[in-house]
Amino acid sequence: MNIPIILLVLLSIPALSIPIIHLLFGKKGINYIRYLTASSLLISLLLLFGSLIGLISQESTLPHLIRTDLLGSFFGFIVILVSLFVVISSFDYMKDHSNEAIYYSLLLFTSIGMLLLSFAVDLLLIFVAWELMSLPTFILAGFNKQDKLSNEGAVKFFILGALSSGILLYGISLIFGLVGSTNLYVIANNFESLDPTLIPLVMFGTIALLAGLGLKLSIVPFHMWIPDTYQGSPTTVSTLLSAATKKAGFAAAIRIFAVIFPLFAFDLSFALAIVAVLTMSLGNLAALTQKSITRLLAYSSIAQAGYLLIGLVVMPYSDLGLIGLLYHSFNHAILQATAFLAVALVRLKTSSTNLTSYQGLSKIMPITSFCLAISLLGLAGFPPLNGFWSKLVLFGAAVDGGYAWLAFIGLINSAISVAYYLLVIKRMYMDESKTVSNIIEPIAFKSVLLFATIVIIMTGLFPNLIYDLSQEITNSFLTNSLV
Amino acid sequence: MLELNFPIISVLIALPILGALLIPLIFKTSQKYIVIYASIFSFIELLLSFYAYRLILINGTGGSYNFTEGPISIIRHFGIDYYVGMDGLSAPLVIITSILSLLVIIGSRDLISDRKVLYYSLLLLFQGAIMGVFTSLNMILFYVFWDVVLIPMFLFIGIWGGPRRKYAAIKFFLFTFIGSIFMLFAFILIYFSVTPNSFNITDVAGKIPLGLQIISSVLFLIGFGVKLPIVPFHTWLPDAHVEAPAPISVLLAGLLLKMGGYGFLRFNIGLLPEASAQYAWIFILIGVITMFYGAFVALVQTDIKKMIALTSINHMGFVILGAFTGTVFGISGAIFQMFTHAAAIGLMFMLSGYLHKVSGTRDITVIKGLKFTSPRLASLLVLGSMAAMALPIFSSFLSEYMVIVGAINVNPIYAVTVAIPVITVAYFLWMLQRVVMSNPTTVRVRHHDLGTFSTLTLVLYLIPLVLTLVVPWLILGVSNPISEVYTNLISSGAA
Repeated sequence: MNIPIILLVLLSIPALSIPIIHLLFGKKGINYIRYLTASSLLISLLLLFGSLIGLISQESTLPHLIRTDLLGSFFGFIVILVSLFVVISSFDYMKDHSNEAIYYSLLLFTSIGMLLLSFAVDLLLIFVAWELMSLPTFILAGFNKQDKLSNEGAVKFFILGALSSGILLYGISLIFGLVGSTNLYVIANNFESLDPTLIPLVMFGTIALLAGLGLKLSIVPFHMWIPDTYQGSPTTVSTLLSAATKKAGFAAAIRIFAVIFPLFAFDLSFALAIVAVLTMSLGNLAALTQKSITRLLAYSSIAQAGYLLIGLVVMPYSDLGLIGLLYHSFNHAILQATAFLAVALVRLKTSSTNLTSYQGLSKIMPITSFCLAISLLGLAGFPPLNGFWSKLVLFGAAVDGGYAWLAFIGLINSAISVAYYLLVIKRMYMDESKTVSNIIEPIAFKSVLLFATIVIIMTGLFPNLIYDLSQEITNSFLTNSLV
Repeated sequence: MLELNFPIISVLIALPILGALLIPLIFKTSQKYIVIYASIFSFIELLLSFYAYRLILINGTGGSYNFTEGPISIIRHFGIDYYVGMDGLSAPLVIITSILSLLVIIGSRDLISDRKVLYYSLLLLFQGAIMGVFTSLNMILFYVFWDVVLIPMFLFIGIWGGPRRKYAAIKFFLFTFIGSIFMLFAFILIYFSVTPNSFNITDVAGKIPLGLQIISSVLFLIGFGVKLPIVPFHTWLPDAHVEAPAPISVLLAGLLLKMGGYGFLRFNIGLLPEASAQYAWIFILIGVITMFYGAFVALVQTDIKKMIALTSINHMGFVILGAFTGTVFGISGAIFQMFTHAAAIGLMFMLSGYLHKVSGTRDITVIKGLKFTSPRLASLLVLGSMAAMALPIFSSFLSEYMVIVGAINVNPIYAVTVAIPVITVAYFLWMLQRVVMSNPTTVRVRHHDLGTFSTLTLVLYLIPLVLTLVVPWLILGVSNPISEVYTNLISSGAA
């Protein structure tokens, strides 16, 4: 079975028909639209899960535009899972919004973009998928059109997004012009016959590619839009941006990095290591001073991108690098989604993202507080939650790959990050609240949060579940990477 | 090497955790029997650990790991295993963990009245996690338990603590967590330096190159030093102790600090013997500074609880001193000292809690004439002080004596440490003079005293101390074999 093509059809049909349903049935059709969106995502998720555990065999096609492999299914699974969380929580979060139907349609389009990006091995398809993923998110970020902050975030996001698309396209055109193909594997084959004086230009093109991707990967210095956009957009959209689109970007980065980078004699890992250090240090230090929880989580998300970069840095030297990168991508997606959705629920109920509104929250919204606390501890890398294991693998990979100093800086950063995560927990569990009345936590929202929290705890207690999968994917990816 | 046909260590770890998870389900509505429930779990733990301890003692197998379970892989290709065992270093700490946990659960009956469900679940969780710390033979497993211990302690201080509890809880958590990260870095470095790569203590022993031993020693010094604590990483301790409720201070001083001492012995001495032999003087110097610092600062305290807290710093200095002497006397004395200190300081902290309850203050200069107002409390305070100042009617004398003899064996200049017990005696006697022996002020006469039940539970703290003075073999029979192993490691490392 060709999973990506099937999913493309499966998700496009509802995405295209939602506006029509909305036109025909108006307000009455909204429930159908909700369930249609959720169920199409759920079926996609099950299909991807089946292919991950080997129930559904994928025909391994020669890679032209897409390559159907486990790596793609893995990232596809992550992004669809997060999208599903977001959709279910949006039942409550987006209730009575005037454009609710379009919101779900846009979410589905973004999901298709992310899914294609996970499987794409041709630079042109990477670009198309990239745009398909980005364009709906620009609209989603500014979805509250009366809200100035939402507009500001969306405009900032759009301008930087357009810039990054431009850089990405520039890099692609350079590479195509020099090597004569946009397929990653053909590029690798044609590379040997290339005039050596042109190699620096190809390298420049590759760096342009990574710079373009860097915007979504939220690495320094392309991080400026993140806090404002996460703060301004509907928080469910921030969830999608930080937990899903970033992971899809990493999928593309892994494919480009694994195939093209070994071609250069010059070692780009060191430069990338510096970027990783800057990304995690800036993220963590800036998060310490935030007064708003969405901004805090935004900076935390930047810092986590720095940890993920460690995996890319040591990928040429140690298999553990890619294992850790995959493993942490999954864990971070779950943790970040849980944290952001808990924040979304608090914002829905108290219409505030200020940290002071979290004082004594454990008594008012016990389940939300518990889920938020667990996910924050997981993000901090506290054992035995899943975030600890994947960070451990990443830091171990750094030591194994000869970057022990990078592991040390990463560990110091983990230590810094504990401070701000802990202060949120302190506010929730030790401070006194201003109000005493209980807030009802909606069932759909609550079940998403609880489900995600159970995943966090279970994958923490049984870390081999995801680790073994990551290892299997890494083995199959690295052994077949030059088909 | 002893083997049992049932997994005793896993039961020791899992039983309290199971008990903790069941509490919120069982005690949803009424919390009447919650203390009895928790005590039953803790009592079974005590019996099990006595059983294990007795076997090790009688067979004299303290020098090797007994009742090992595993390695059962948690992450197969990354060396993370479930692997536990008990030797002459772990066994005394397991015993004192069981004793103190039970006594603390019983003692909390009088002193904790708020949010009992959470409190007793956390107590049992703490007990299970700390059992895991003392028995883990895989470094990552050790790290996991090490950090899991922090969560209950953070909540204990932050929820049931005194007026500055939030500050103290966060300071405690950050200090110990940041320290533990240095330790984790050393573990990762060690993992990749040995072939085949392994996190298991038994596999890496004797294979670590000297350069890495030195780096790891520095990292461990920070990681374990924060817990022990050594000067200058001690500043979290007075805050945490003063703010924590009395039963929690018992756990904090009695068990949590022992994690640092255990770490120094297990990892610095056991895994890095060459570096420890060559740079022993640095650790010993730090130990001596810590002891003097703790003693002198304790001298001027007016809050009795802060004074006792600083005594811990002073006493834990003996552990690091004894460990790095590299003699049987010193190492065995250090293990013994951890045992006696836990019992003695546990009693003192409980008494400070009762003192606060009875007189409404902990200020040494304000409480007067305790021997008239609360004779039982006063007598126990005198006995507890005697244990803490190492008078030869309790075994704390023996442990300090062993450490000092071990130190003098290495270098006569360490005889300077004889001054420490003298200063300790000074501030305890001064405290007793002001609090117990003075005349009561006419204004603040109260007739509250300890109940019979409380008195009995408090006396229980003294029993191990008397017993091990009369029959020191009870501890030394277990700790001497492992001390001999470590002494051989150190002396071959020095050569």
